[in-house]
Amino acid sequence: MSETIALTPEAAPHADFAVARRPSLLRALLRDPLGAAALAVVLLVVLAALLAPWIAPGDPYGGDLANTLKAPGEAGLLGTDGQGRDMITRLLFGLRTTLGMGISAVVIGCGLGGLAGFAAAYYPAASGVVMRLMDVLLSFPAILFGLALTAIVGPGLRAVVIALSVATVPLMARVVRGAALVVLRQDYIEGARALGMSDARILTRYVLLNCLSPIFVFVTLRFGQVILLGATLSFIGLGAQPPTPELGAMAADGRNFLFFAPHVAVLPSLVIFVIVLAFNVLGDSLRDALDPRLRR
Amino acid sequence: MTQPPRPDPIPATTPLLELRDVSKHYPVRRGLLRREAGAVRAVDGVSLHVDPGETLAVVGESGCGKSTTARLALRLVPASGGSIRFDGQDVTDARGPALRRLRREMQVVFQDPFASLNPRMSVAEILAEPLLVHGVGDAGARRERVRDLLRLVDLAPYHAERFPHEFSGGQRQRIGIARALALSPRLIVCDEPVSALDVSIQAQIVNLLKDLQRELGLAFLFISHGLAVVRHVADRVAVMYLGQVVETAPKAALYGDPRHPYTQALLAAAPEPDPARRLARTPLAGDVPSPLDPPGGCRFHTRCPATQAHCRSEAPALRPRAAGSGHAVACHFAESIPAFTRFRDPRPRPPRLQARLALYEARRAAPTP
Repeated sequence: MSETIALTPEAAPHADFAVARRPSLLRALLRDPLGAAALAVVLLVVLAALLAPWIAPGDPYGGDLANTLKAPGEAGLLGTDGQGRDMITRLLFGLRTTLGMGISAVVIGCGLGGLAGFAAAYYPAASGVVMRLMDVLLSFPAILFGLALTAIVGPGLRAVVIALSVATVPLMARVVRGAALVVLRQDYIEGARALGMSDARILTRYVLLNCLSPIFVFVTLRFGQVILLGATLSFIGLGAQPPTPELGAMAADGRNFLFFAPHVAVLPSLVIFVIVLAFNVLGDSLRDALDPRLRR
Repeated sequence: MTQPPRPDPIPATTPLLELRDVSKHYPVRRGLLRREAGAVRAVDGVSLHVDPGETLAVVGESGCGKSTTARLALRLVPASGGSIRFDGQDVTDARGPALRRLRREMQVVFQDPFASLNPRMSVAEILAEPLLVHGVGDAGARRERVRDLLRLVDLAPYHAERFPHEFSGGQRQRIGIARALALSPRLIVCDEPVSALDVSIQAQIVNLLKDLQRELGLAFLFISHGLAVVRHVADRVAVMYLGQVVETAPKAALYGDPRHPYTQALLAAAPEPDPARRLARTPLAGDVPSPLDPPGGCRFHTRCPATQAHCRSEAPALRPRAAGSGHAVACHFAESIPAFTRFRDPRPRPPRLQARLALYEARRAAPTP
């Protein structure tokens, strides 16, 4: 065997380029301006939600009834709502509730759904039972679930989180199972088994890693949907109960004054819009950054 | 449908890998209750052996069971019957630590270089993975090994940080070979390793495999559908048809004096560039019968040009031709079927062409530096 590599036409000639280090995940993410912007917005929103009790200028519950429905600028930076509560404070606390609800529902729902999907793909014997169960779950609309659950556990955020998690499980399971089935048919899975690799390692290092693209797309898309669904449930009175600040409930509150104090409804809606958009864009660029084929 | 076990000819020394009467049947389930309605006999009573350092090629059409045979040998699918021995030890039902030890000795190179490498891992990670799984060496030793492996397959050290999608098909196949070599196995199962590559690249990969064999004393179980490639790499050849071995012989005997009509048909199917030498041979008619319901008697009788009544009723056993020749044929008429002639008697060649061809042959026969 020849020691000199240049003899083979396939070996590229520029051997002196040395090792081309691949960029880190964060670097790859920041290279995409849209991704960087989305990351900034998401970080800002999460930080604001976490720090709400310390940075909020007012009291989220007790209002000043002499100063109701003030337009932005008249009282505080963003005005006050129907009970004279400062809008900035309400928005910050609402963000906290809404994000908490959305994130916990997505984490629980996608976690369980992902496990079910992987199990169904990897163990064909389990596939039939698991996926039929998912079909049953899929046949209930999330709103109906919310209604049923509030009848059982009473209205409130807990019911919303449970309902949205349950509604997410079958969708995630299908996405994951489909992606995993494609990956499991690849030769490199068989190669991994021929190496004597354990099931757990194959699932994490090979299957999960190669299913990340569809999972990321689904999770971020679903996060947006869950926030909207949660807001919807609050809007129709099944979710957060007054006076709990929640963006959907705040928008519902504000619609009574839509014509003479539009900011009460518009501001929370706008925040929902920005969150959903930022998470979707971030998910998209995160997927690209994670995929070595799409990097650089 | 039990057939007598067929002993594989020449059990000289202890073979590295030995399949004895191995079968793989896939049950076919039908209906609401998923009752077993039959079985696909993908591999049906195959006996093979691979000696240390040699190349056994298994050839046959698509669906003849050659890839399943490879997976059976690798213990990737469980056998329905028969026994598999590695280095004299029965590994048919090996599991746990015994199976892990076996995995170190036996590796695989796949056909499709685009599906056989994990696209999420860099080349360095792919090559270090076998070492990691088997707990070989520390990080430094593994890095060292990755460099060695890359050099072994004629890739450059800087390729280590790249990802599979940045390589051509031939380069990927080199990475696949390096991965298979990582644990220094004694046997590599090559499942059509060059079928997906351009012809020019095929030669490079085949030569690489031969070099590695000479250098590292590897044994190959080489699965292929192309007799041309096999002629280049194999020491011995086994021809499979519909899940069974129909003829096995050392390369020279198989190409020089094929005795099974199917082997002859396969050889005749290779293209011949000189139209004057082409023989007006009728190609095999029809398709391979379904392995779900193989024809009775000799499985080849539906397509065989020399079928007789006897062939329809009785299955021929794989019979050794002469003691020690290593040539065995599963045909009732192995001795009587006409000798295989690839070519019609050529028209007289012009003397100058004759001289040039002689020169070419002489050059080809000389060992390449």
